[in-house]
Amino acid sequence: MSIRHGLLALLSGGPRYGYQLRVEFEASTGATWPLNIGQVYTTLSRLDRDGLVTPGGDDEQGRTLYEITEKGREELARWFATPVGQTDRPRDELVIKVALAVAAVDVDVAEVIQAQRMATMRTLQELTRAKRDVADGAAQRLVLDSMIFKAEAEQRWLDHCEAVLRERKA
Amino acid sequence: MSVLEMREVTRTFGDVPALRGVTLAVGRGELVAVMGPSGCGKSTLLNLAGGLDLPTSGSVSVEGADLAGVRDRAALRRGAIGYVFQDLNLIPSLTAAENVMLPRELDGVRAGRAREEAEAVLREVGVGEAADRFPGELSGGQRQRVAIARALVGERRLLLADEPTGALDTATGDDILRLLRERCDAGAAVLLVTHEPRYAGWADRVVYLRDGRVADATDTPLESAR
Repeated sequence: MSIRHGLLALLSGGPRYGYQLRVEFEASTGATWPLNIGQVYTTLSRLDRDGLVTPGGDDEQGRTLYEITEKGREELARWFATPVGQTDRPRDELVIKVALAVAAVDVDVAEVIQAQRMATMRTLQELTRAKRDVADGAAQRLVLDSMIFKAEAEQRWLDHCEAVLRERKA
Repeated sequence: MSVLEMREVTRTFGDVPALRGVTLAVGRGELVAVMGPSGCGKSTLLNLAGGLDLPTSGSVSVEGADLAGVRDRAALRRGAIGYVFQDLNLIPSLTAAENVMLPRELDGVRAGRAREEAEAVLREVGVGEAADRFPGELSGGQRQRVAIARALVGERRLLLADEPTGALDTATGDDILRLLRERCDAGAAVLLVTHEPRYAGWADRVVYLRDGRVADATDTPLESAR
């Protein structure tokens, strides 16, 4: 995923100013990906260079409206049609930490698991609170839902680790 | 004052200890979730909290009354405590409204008033239109809402929920938790037993039970070392 495709997706709904794009990008990703305005303008000028957007005229306040081009729409469609591969995601630090705790000597793995379980539970509570505060905005809610599902999967995996390790000990 | 207060509660079945000294309080407006592996004592804890069972030692108080000293425990169970269980236990031959009226009629409230209360609480939990339908004619989510309405009717301030989301899909399960949360925000105390982390996430506090003891709780902020 790149900021490019994020901006193209927003521009597919109509022309936008740079500042507007920044606000909408953050809102629709559930504030999980903060952008600074510099990143937005750098990205817009590259999209312009590649012919994916075109800057319209400035308004009376000197702001430039950007519009998606036909080529931009094609690029966006191609992006949406391409599934995300497993290798595009970074390594999971927790999995590695638990695996190393098992491999190392003198580490209380159960304690590592329990500490993580409580930390993940707190994250779940925070995410759920954030979700309760979303009045409307399906995009934002679904981003939070995705994070909730991930935290939930992590909890299940920790339970599983515990069960497997207990079996091996017995 | 806490709505529910459990102090150093133990419960032994024969030689087998199910709870080994649990201290837990749930206040007005608070939603507390209890999690833990199967056999950790979750269900025993809920039964003791609801006065369906008495501790071997220690004490359980509901709104200041020690359950061991209450003469008419059945009346207290009906009047102060609401239960929502996984297998709803709605009576299939009674309509939604009639199911909700039942505990009030047992308390001697006359039918007309019980009916009004039932309709009001059904509306409050978002199934007002289902009042005259039978459980078999309702969706899983609607049935669970009716069960919650029955647990709430008559201004009961302690709500005990055992896996209230049962086999519901996650979006409907979230709706049920949102409803419990709203009841909390309106002043009820809710003790929720669940094995699903996503639903425990709605709680103010998550208590983790293991081998009959409180192993951990989320109310003491811990530095994340990840």
